[in-house]
Amino acid sequence: MSIFEYNGSALVAMVGKNCFAIASDRRLGVQLQTIATDFQKIYRIHHKLFIGLAGLATDAQTLYQRLVFRHKLYHLREERDMKPETFASLVSAVLYEKRFGPYFCQPVIAGLGDDDKPFICTMDSIGAKELAKDFVVAGTASESLYGACESMFKPDMEAEELFETISQALISSVDRDCLSGWGGHVYLVTPTEVTERILKGRMD
Amino acid sequence: MPKQQANWSPYDNNGGTCVAIAGADYCVIAADTRMSTGYSILTRDYSKIIQLADKSVMASSGFQADVRALQKVLAARHLIYQHQHNKQMSCPAMAQLLSNTLYFKRFFPYYAFNVLGGLDSEGKGCVFTYDAVGSYERVGYSAQGSGATLITPFLDNQLKSPSPLLLPAKDAVTPLSEIEAIDLVKTCFASATERDIYTGDKVEMLVLNANGIRREVMELRKD
Repeated sequence: MSIFEYNGSALVAMVGKNCFAIASDRRLGVQLQTIATDFQKIYRIHHKLFIGLAGLATDAQTLYQRLVFRHKLYHLREERDMKPETFASLVSAVLYEKRFGPYFCQPVIAGLGDDDKPFICTMDSIGAKELAKDFVVAGTASESLYGACESMFKPDMEAEELFETISQALISSVDRDCLSGWGGHVYLVTPTEVTERILKGRMD
Repeated sequence: MPKQQANWSPYDNNGGTCVAIAGADYCVIAADTRMSTGYSILTRDYSKIIQLADKSVMASSGFQADVRALQKVLAARHLIYQHQHNKQMSCPAMAQLLSNTLYFKRFFPYYAFNVLGGLDSEGKGCVFTYDAVGSYERVGYSAQGSGATLITPFLDNQLKSPSPLLLPAKDAVTPLSEIEAIDLVKTCFASATERDIYTGDKVEMLVLNANGIRREVMELRKD
Protein backbone atom coordinates (compact mmCIF):
# COMPACT_ATOMS: atom_id res chain seq x y z
CA MET A 1 0.00 0.00 0.00
CA SER A 2 1.28 3.45 -0.92
CA ILE A 3 2.31 5.83 1.88
CA PHE A 4 -0.31 8.29 0.62
CA GLU A 5 -2.99 5.68 1.27
CA TYR A 6 -1.90 4.80 4.81
CA ASN A 7 -4.40 7.00 6.65
CA GLY A 8 -7.07 7.65 3.99
CA SER A 9 -8.60 11.00 3.12
CA ALA A 10 -10.95 12.85 0.81
CA LEU A 11 -10.75 16.60 0.23
CA VAL A 12 -12.58 18.89 -2.13
CA ALA A 13 -12.87 22.66 -2.59
CA MET A 14 -15.32 24.43 -4.89
CA VAL A 15 -15.80 27.99 -6.07
CA GLY A 16 -19.20 29.69 -6.02
CA LYS A 17 -20.49 33.21 -6.56
CA ASN A 18 -18.37 35.35 -4.20
CA CYS A 19 -17.98 32.36 -1.89
CA PHE A 20 -16.21 29.04 -1.66
CA ALA A 21 -16.70 25.72 0.11
CA ILE A 22 -14.07 23.29 1.34
CA ALA A 23 -15.00 19.83 2.56
CA SER A 24 -13.29 16.73 3.92
CA ASP A 25 -14.16 13.30 5.25
CA ARG A 26 -13.67 12.50 8.95
CA ARG A 27 -11.93 9.15 9.02
CA LEU A 28 -8.50 8.49 10.41
CA GLY A 29 -7.32 4.96 9.75
CA VAL A 30 -4.21 2.84 9.97
CA GLN A 31 -4.44 0.91 6.71
CA LEU A 32 -7.73 -0.91 7.01
CA GLN A 33 -8.41 -0.27 10.69
CA THR A 34 -10.36 2.86 11.62
CA ILE A 35 -8.86 4.73 14.54
CA ALA A 36 -10.91 7.94 14.70
CA THR A 37 -14.16 9.14 13.15
CA ASP A 38 -13.83 12.83 13.95
CA PHE A 39 -10.40 13.62 12.57
CA GLN A 40 -9.90 17.16 11.36
CA LYS A 41 -8.25 17.63 7.99
CA ILE A 42 -9.21 21.23 7.23
CA TYR A 43 -7.48 23.97 9.19
CA ARG A 44 -8.16 27.68 9.43
CA ILE A 45 -5.25 30.00 8.71
CA HIS A 46 -7.33 33.14 9.02
CA HIS A 47 -11.01 33.93 8.67
CA LYS A 48 -10.81 34.01 4.89
CA LEU A 49 -8.22 31.28 4.30
CA PHE A 50 -8.45 27.55 4.88
CA ILE A 51 -6.11 24.71 4.06
CA GLY A 52 -7.01 21.04 3.87
CA LEU A 53 -4.25 18.45 4.00
CA ALA A 54 -4.68 14.98 2.50
CA GLY A 55 -2.21 12.14 2.79
CA LEU A 56 -0.15 10.96 5.73
CA ALA A 57 -1.75 12.36 8.89
CA THR A 58 1.45 12.96 10.82
CA ASP A 59 2.92 14.98 7.95
CA ALA A 60 -0.37 16.86 7.59
CA GLN A 61 -0.28 17.88 11.25
CA THR A 62 3.41 18.87 11.17
CA LEU A 63 2.96 20.81 7.95
CA TYR A 64 -0.03 22.63 9.40
CA GLN A 65 1.98 23.58 12.51
CA ARG A 66 4.81 24.93 10.37
CA LEU A 67 2.44 26.91 8.14
CA VAL A 68 0.56 28.46 11.05
CA PHE A 69 3.94 29.44 12.53
CA ARG A 70 4.96 31.11 9.26
CA HIS A 71 1.64 32.90 8.96
CA LYS A 72 1.78 34.20 12.53
CA LEU A 73 5.23 35.65 11.87
CA TYR A 74 4.00 37.19 8.63
CA HIS A 75 1.09 38.74 10.51
CA LEU A 76 3.43 40.24 13.12
CA ARG A 77 5.72 41.71 10.49
CA GLU A 78 3.16 42.86 7.91
CA GLU A 79 0.32 43.68 10.36
CA ARG A 80 -2.17 42.00 8.06
CA ASP A 81 -3.34 38.53 6.95
CA MET A 82 -1.75 36.73 4.02
CA LYS A 83 -3.55 36.71 0.69
CA PRO A 84 -4.50 33.21 -0.49
CA GLU A 85 -2.27 33.45 -3.57
CA THR A 86 0.69 34.37 -1.40
CA PHE A 87 -0.10 31.58 1.06
CA ALA A 88 -0.23 29.10 -1.80
CA SER A 89 3.26 30.18 -2.88
CA LEU A 90 4.42 29.80 0.73
CA VAL A 91 3.07 26.25 0.93
CA SER A 92 4.67 25.43 -2.40
CA ALA A 93 8.04 26.72 -1.19
CA VAL A 94 7.82 24.87 2.14
CA LEU A 95 7.05 21.61 0.31
CA TYR A 96 9.82 22.04 -2.26
CA GLU A 97 12.40 22.63 0.51
CA LYS A 98 11.90 18.93 1.23
CA ARG A 99 12.24 17.94 -2.43
CA PHE A 100 14.32 14.80 -1.79
CA GLY A 101 12.58 13.75 1.43
CA PRO A 102 9.06 15.15 1.02
CA TYR A 103 6.07 15.57 3.26
CA PHE A 104 3.59 12.92 2.10
CA CYS A 105 0.74 15.39 1.87
CA GLN A 106 -1.41 16.91 -0.81
CA PRO A 107 -2.74 20.31 0.24
CA VAL A 108 -6.00 21.92 -0.89
CA ILE A 109 -6.03 25.67 -0.32
CA ALA A 110 -9.16 27.82 -0.46
CA GLY A 111 -9.57 31.48 0.39
CA LEU A 112 -11.13 34.82 -0.47
CA GLY A 113 -8.56 37.18 -1.97
CA ASP A 114 -8.68 40.85 -2.95
CA ASP A 115 -12.24 42.09 -3.35
CA ASP A 116 -13.38 38.80 -1.81
CA LYS A 117 -12.69 36.93 -5.02
CA PRO A 118 -12.64 33.15 -4.32
CA PHE A 119 -9.31 31.39 -4.82
CA ILE A 120 -8.68 27.65 -4.78
CA CYS A 121 -5.68 25.57 -5.58
CA THR A 122 -4.09 22.20 -4.91
CA MET A 123 -0.54 20.93 -5.23
CA ASP A 124 1.34 17.67 -5.29
CA SER A 125 3.58 16.59 -2.42
CA ILE A 126 6.56 18.58 -3.70
CA GLY A 127 4.74 21.83 -4.31
CA ALA A 128 3.62 21.87 -7.96
CA LYS A 129 0.65 24.25 -7.91
CA GLU A 130 -2.53 23.57 -9.79
CA LEU A 131 -4.84 26.58 -9.95
CA ALA A 132 -8.42 25.90 -10.93
CA LYS A 133 -11.44 28.09 -11.52
CA ASP A 134 -14.03 25.48 -10.59
CA PHE A 135 -12.97 22.79 -8.12
CA VAL A 136 -9.95 20.91 -6.80
CA VAL A 137 -9.78 17.48 -5.18
CA ALA A 138 -7.24 15.45 -3.19
CA GLY A 139 -6.92 12.22 -1.27
CA THR A 140 -7.56 8.51 -1.74
CA ALA A 141 -11.02 9.22 -3.17
CA SER A 142 -9.69 11.74 -5.71
CA GLU A 143 -10.71 9.86 -8.86
CA SER A 144 -14.27 9.41 -7.61
CA LEU A 145 -14.29 13.07 -6.57
CA TYR A 146 -13.16 14.17 -10.04
CA GLY A 147 -16.07 12.29 -11.61
CA ALA A 148 -18.67 13.48 -9.15
CA CYS A 149 -17.54 17.14 -9.18
CA GLU A 150 -17.21 17.28 -12.96
CA SER A 151 -20.83 16.14 -13.34
CA MET A 152 -22.35 18.15 -10.51
CA PHE A 153 -20.49 21.45 -10.69
CA LYS A 154 -22.04 24.59 -12.18
CA PRO A 155 -20.31 27.98 -12.21
CA ASP A 156 -21.56 30.86 -10.00
CA MET A 157 -23.61 28.90 -7.50
CA GLU A 158 -24.95 30.73 -4.46
CA ALA A 159 -23.84 29.65 -1.00
CA GLU A 160 -26.72 27.29 -0.18
CA GLU A 161 -26.62 25.55 -3.55
CA LEU A 162 -22.82 25.29 -3.37
CA PHE A 163 -23.12 23.63 0.02
CA GLU A 164 -25.61 21.08 -1.36
CA THR A 165 -23.45 20.33 -4.39
CA ILE A 166 -20.17 19.90 -2.54
CA SER A 167 -21.86 17.75 0.11
CA GLN A 168 -23.46 15.42 -2.46
CA ALA A 169 -20.19 15.14 -4.40
CA LEU A 170 -18.22 14.34 -1.23
CA ILE A 171 -20.66 11.81 0.17
CA SER A 172 -21.13 9.88 -3.09
CA SER A 173 -17.37 9.77 -3.67
CA VAL A 174 -16.35 8.61 -0.20
CA ASP A 175 -19.06 5.93 -0.26
CA ARG A 176 -17.03 4.24 -3.01
CA ASP A 177 -13.71 4.48 -1.17
CA CYS A 178 -12.95 2.15 1.73
CA LEU A 179 -10.28 4.42 3.19
CA SER A 180 -12.36 7.58 3.54
CA GLY A 181 -15.78 8.31 4.97
CA TRP A 182 -17.45 8.33 8.40
CA GLY A 183 -19.27 11.54 7.55
CA GLY A 184 -18.10 14.89 6.25
CA HIS A 185 -16.94 18.29 7.39
CA VAL A 186 -17.96 21.26 5.20
CA TYR A 187 -16.84 24.87 5.58
CA LEU A 188 -18.82 27.41 3.59
CA VAL A 189 -17.10 30.80 3.44
CA THR A 190 -18.67 34.04 2.24
CA PRO A 191 -17.29 37.59 2.70
CA THR A 192 -19.44 38.03 5.81
CA GLU A 193 -19.48 34.65 7.58
CA VAL A 194 -17.99 31.19 7.90
CA THR A 195 -20.37 28.26 8.36
CA GLU A 196 -19.11 24.91 9.53
CA ARG A 197 -21.37 21.89 9.08
CA ILE A 198 -20.99 18.18 9.81
CA LEU A 199 -22.50 15.75 7.30
CA LYS A 200 -23.85 12.37 8.22
CA GLY A 201 -23.06 9.69 5.69
CA ARG A 202 -22.49 5.96 5.68
CA MET A 203 -20.59 5.17 8.84
CA ASP A 204 -18.28 2.64 7.36
CA MET B 1 25.45 -12.34 -16.65
CA PRO B 2 22.52 -11.62 -14.25
CA LYS B 3 19.35 -13.67 -14.74
CA GLN B 4 17.23 -12.24 -17.55
CA GLN B 5 13.59 -11.55 -16.83
CA ALA B 6 10.86 -11.58 -19.45
CA ASN B 7 9.80 -8.07 -20.33
CA TRP B 8 7.22 -8.96 -22.96
CA SER B 9 3.58 -8.93 -21.83
CA PRO B 10 0.82 -10.72 -23.73
CA TYR B 11 -1.59 -8.01 -22.60
CA ASP B 12 -2.15 -4.37 -23.49
CA ASN B 13 -4.82 -1.97 -22.25
CA ASN B 14 -6.79 -0.24 -24.98
CA GLY B 15 -8.66 1.93 -22.49
CA GLY B 16 -12.25 3.08 -22.74
CA THR B 17 -15.29 3.12 -20.51
CA CYS B 18 -18.53 1.12 -20.56
CA VAL B 19 -21.77 1.85 -18.67
CA ALA B 20 -25.08 0.00 -18.41
CA ILE B 21 -28.29 1.01 -16.63
CA ALA B 22 -31.37 -1.18 -16.04
CA GLY B 23 -34.85 0.32 -15.91
CA ALA B 24 -38.30 -1.11 -15.25
CA ASP B 25 -38.85 -2.02 -18.90
CA TYR B 26 -35.66 -0.95 -20.70
CA CYS B 27 -31.90 -1.28 -20.58
CA VAL B 28 -29.27 1.21 -21.76
CA ILE B 29 -25.78 -0.02 -22.63
CA ALA B 30 -23.16 2.55 -23.64
CA ALA B 31 -19.45 2.67 -24.39
CA ASP B 32 -17.08 5.25 -25.83
CA THR B 33 -15.49 4.58 -29.20
CA ARG B 34 -11.87 5.49 -28.52
CA MET B 35 -9.21 2.78 -28.74
CA SER B 36 -5.78 3.72 -27.33
CA THR B 37 -2.43 2.19 -26.53
CA GLY B 38 -0.13 3.90 -24.06
CA TYR B 39 -0.56 7.62 -24.71
CA SER B 40 -1.53 7.19 -28.37
CA ILE B 41 -4.92 6.88 -30.02
CA LEU B 42 -5.28 3.95 -32.40
CA THR B 43 -8.72 4.88 -33.65
CA ARG B 44 -11.59 7.15 -32.71
CA ASP B 45 -14.27 4.90 -34.13
CA TYR B 46 -14.11 1.45 -32.54
CA SER B 47 -17.21 -0.25 -31.18
CA LYS B 48 -16.86 -2.06 -27.87
CA ILE B 49 -20.48 -3.22 -27.89
CA ILE B 50 -21.85 -6.42 -29.36
CA GLN B 51 -25.38 -7.81 -29.47
CA LEU B 52 -25.06 -11.44 -28.46
CA ALA B 53 -28.77 -12.37 -28.53
CA ASP B 54 -31.97 -10.50 -29.20
CA LYS B 55 -32.19 -9.45 -25.56
CA SER B 56 -28.51 -9.47 -24.52
CA VAL B 57 -25.93 -6.82 -25.28
CA MET B 58 -22.38 -6.86 -23.99
CA ALA B 59 -19.96 -3.96 -23.68
CA SER B 60 -16.32 -4.65 -22.81
CA SER B 61 -13.33 -2.47 -22.03
CA GLY B 62 -9.75 -3.63 -21.52
CA PHE B 63 -7.60 -5.47 -24.07
CA GLN B 64 -9.64 -5.44 -27.28
CA ALA B 65 -7.90 -8.44 -28.85
CA ASP B 66 -9.08 -10.55 -25.90
CA VAL B 67 -12.49 -8.85 -26.09
CA ARG B 68 -12.79 -9.82 -29.77
CA ALA B 69 -11.83 -13.42 -29.01
CA LEU B 70 -14.35 -13.52 -26.17
CA GLN B 71 -17.09 -12.13 -28.42
CA LYS B 72 -16.38 -14.82 -31.02
CA VAL B 73 -16.57 -17.61 -28.45
CA LEU B 74 -19.86 -16.32 -27.03
CA ALA B 75 -21.40 -15.82 -30.48
CA ALA B 76 -20.45 -19.36 -31.47
CA ARG B 77 -21.84 -20.82 -28.23
CA HIS B 78 -25.08 -18.88 -28.74
CA LEU B 79 -25.45 -20.27 -32.24
CA ILE B 80 -25.03 -23.80 -30.91
CA TYR B 81 -27.61 -23.08 -28.19
CA GLN B 82 -30.06 -21.90 -30.85
CA HIS B 83 -29.54 -25.09 -32.87
CA GLN B 84 -30.01 -27.29 -29.80
CA HIS B 85 -32.91 -25.47 -28.09
CA ASN B 86 -34.65 -23.74 -31.01
CA LYS B 87 -34.77 -20.44 -29.15
CA GLN B 88 -32.63 -17.44 -28.22
CA MET B 89 -30.68 -17.44 -24.98
CA SER B 90 -32.22 -15.36 -22.20
CA CYS B 91 -30.09 -12.61 -20.68
CA PRO B 92 -29.57 -14.39 -17.33
CA ALA B 93 -28.52 -17.53 -19.23
CA MET B 94 -26.04 -15.53 -21.29
CA ALA B 95 -24.77 -13.99 -18.06
CA GLN B 96 -23.94 -17.41 -16.66
CA LEU B 97 -22.33 -18.47 -19.96
CA LEU B 98 -20.12 -15.39 -19.94
CA SER B 99 -19.05 -16.11 -16.37
CA ASN B 100 -18.18 -19.71 -17.18
CA THR B 101 -16.31 -18.70 -20.35
CA LEU B 102 -14.20 -16.20 -18.41
CA TYR B 103 -13.40 -18.65 -15.60
CA PHE B 104 -12.43 -21.29 -18.11
CA LYS B 105 -9.34 -19.15 -18.70
CA ARG B 106 -8.74 -18.57 -15.01
CA PHE B 107 -4.96 -19.07 -15.32
CA PHE B 108 -4.43 -16.98 -18.47
CA PRO B 109 -7.41 -14.64 -18.34
CA TYR B 110 -9.20 -12.61 -20.95
CA TYR B 111 -8.17 -9.05 -20.07
CA ALA B 112 -11.73 -7.91 -20.52
CA PHE B 113 -13.93 -5.91 -18.17
CA ASN B 114 -17.49 -6.61 -19.15
CA VAL B 115 -20.98 -5.35 -18.55
CA LEU B 116 -23.85 -7.37 -19.92
CA GLY B 117 -27.22 -5.67 -20.34
CA GLY B 118 -30.60 -6.77 -21.54
CA LEU B 119 -34.15 -7.71 -20.65
CA ASP B 120 -34.97 -10.70 -18.49
CA SER B 121 -37.82 -13.12 -19.23
CA GLU B 122 -40.29 -10.74 -17.50
CA GLY B 123 -39.23 -7.85 -19.73
CA LYS B 124 -37.51 -5.97 -16.88
CA GLY B 125 -34.10 -4.45 -17.47
CA CYS B 126 -31.12 -6.38 -16.16
CA VAL B 127 -27.43 -5.54 -15.93
CA PHE B 128 -24.68 -7.96 -14.98
CA THR B 129 -21.20 -6.78 -14.11
CA TYR B 130 -18.03 -8.89 -14.25
CA ASP B 131 -14.40 -8.96 -13.29
CA ALA B 132 -11.76 -10.40 -15.62
CA VAL B 133 -12.11 -13.95 -14.36
CA GLY B 134 -15.88 -14.27 -14.35
CA SER B 135 -17.08 -13.20 -10.90
CA TYR B 136 -20.46 -11.64 -11.62
CA GLU B 137 -23.46 -10.06 -10.01
CA ARG B 138 -26.83 -8.79 -11.19
CA VAL B 139 -27.04 -5.07 -10.43
CA GLY B 140 -29.20 -2.09 -11.36
CA TYR B 141 -26.32 -0.24 -13.02
CA SER B 142 -22.60 -0.57 -13.55
CA ALA B 143 -19.57 1.14 -15.08
CA GLN B 144 -16.33 -0.60 -16.14
CA GLY B 145 -13.08 0.60 -17.64
CA SER B 146 -10.82 3.61 -17.24
CA GLY B 147 -13.62 6.06 -16.44
CA ALA B 148 -15.47 3.72 -14.06
CA THR B 149 -14.17 5.31 -10.84
CA LEU B 150 -15.24 8.72 -12.10
CA ILE B 151 -18.72 7.64 -13.19
CA THR B 152 -19.84 5.17 -10.52
CA PRO B 153 -20.22 7.60 -7.57
CA PHE B 154 -22.26 9.94 -9.77
CA LEU B 155 -24.54 7.08 -10.81
CA ASP B 156 -24.91 6.08 -7.13
CA ASN B 157 -26.09 9.61 -6.44
CA GLN B 158 -28.37 10.22 -9.45
CA LEU B 159 -30.09 6.98 -10.24
CA LYS B 160 -32.23 6.92 -7.13
CA SER B 161 -31.82 3.16 -7.23
CA PRO B 162 -31.49 1.44 -3.93
CA SER B 163 -27.70 1.44 -3.63
CA PRO B 164 -25.93 -1.89 -4.15
CA LEU B 165 -24.05 -1.00 -0.97
CA LEU B 166 -27.22 -1.30 1.15
CA LEU B 167 -28.02 -4.34 3.23
CA PRO B 168 -30.32 -6.26 2.78
CA ALA B 169 -29.85 -6.11 -0.99
CA LYS B 170 -32.83 -4.56 -2.75
CA ASP B 171 -34.01 -5.00 -6.32
CA ALA B 172 -31.92 -2.41 -8.03
CA VAL B 173 -33.61 -1.20 -11.22
CA THR B 174 -33.88 2.55 -11.42
CA PRO B 175 -37.27 4.26 -11.28
CA LEU B 176 -36.07 6.77 -13.89
CA SER B 177 -37.67 6.86 -17.34
CA GLU B 178 -35.83 5.78 -20.48
CA ILE B 179 -35.24 9.38 -21.65
CA GLU B 180 -33.91 10.41 -18.24
CA ALA B 181 -31.57 7.43 -18.11
CA ILE B 182 -30.16 8.19 -21.56
CA ASP B 183 -29.57 11.83 -20.59
CA LEU B 184 -27.78 10.65 -17.48
CA VAL B 185 -25.53 8.37 -19.54
CA LYS B 186 -24.66 11.28 -21.84
CA THR B 187 -23.78 13.46 -18.84
CA CYS B 188 -21.62 10.69 -17.36
CA PHE B 189 -19.60 10.32 -20.54
CA ALA B 190 -19.21 14.06 -21.01
CA SER B 191 -17.83 14.35 -17.47
CA ALA B 192 -15.61 11.28 -17.73
CA THR B 193 -14.20 12.58 -21.03
CA GLU B 194 -13.09 15.79 -19.30
CA ARG B 195 -10.97 14.01 -16.70
CA ASP B 196 -9.98 10.66 -18.22
CA ILE B 197 -7.57 10.75 -21.15
CA TYR B 198 -8.64 7.31 -22.40
CA THR B 199 -12.31 8.27 -22.76
CA GLY B 200 -13.62 10.45 -25.58
CA ASP B 201 -14.34 10.81 -29.33
CA LYS B 202 -17.87 9.39 -29.38
CA VAL B 203 -20.24 7.48 -27.15
CA GLU B 204 -22.34 4.72 -28.65
CA MET B 205 -25.58 3.89 -26.78
CA LEU B 206 -27.82 0.90 -27.36
CA VAL B 207 -31.29 0.92 -25.83
CA LEU B 208 -33.24 -2.32 -25.47
CA ASN B 209 -36.93 -2.28 -24.73
CA ALA B 210 -40.13 -4.12 -25.60
CA ASN B 211 -40.12 -2.52 -29.08
CA GLY B 212 -36.67 -3.82 -29.93
CA ILE B 213 -33.27 -2.22 -29.99
CA ARG B 214 -32.26 1.34 -30.87
CA ARG B 215 -28.79 2.82 -31.42
CA GLU B 216 -27.75 6.38 -30.69
CA VAL B 217 -24.34 8.05 -31.06
CA MET B 218 -23.20 11.27 -29.39
CA GLU B 219 -20.00 13.22 -30.11
CA LEU B 220 -17.53 13.74 -27.26
CA ARG B 221 -14.39 15.83 -26.88
CA LYS B 222 -11.59 14.55 -29.06
CA ASP B 223 -8.61 15.72 -26.99
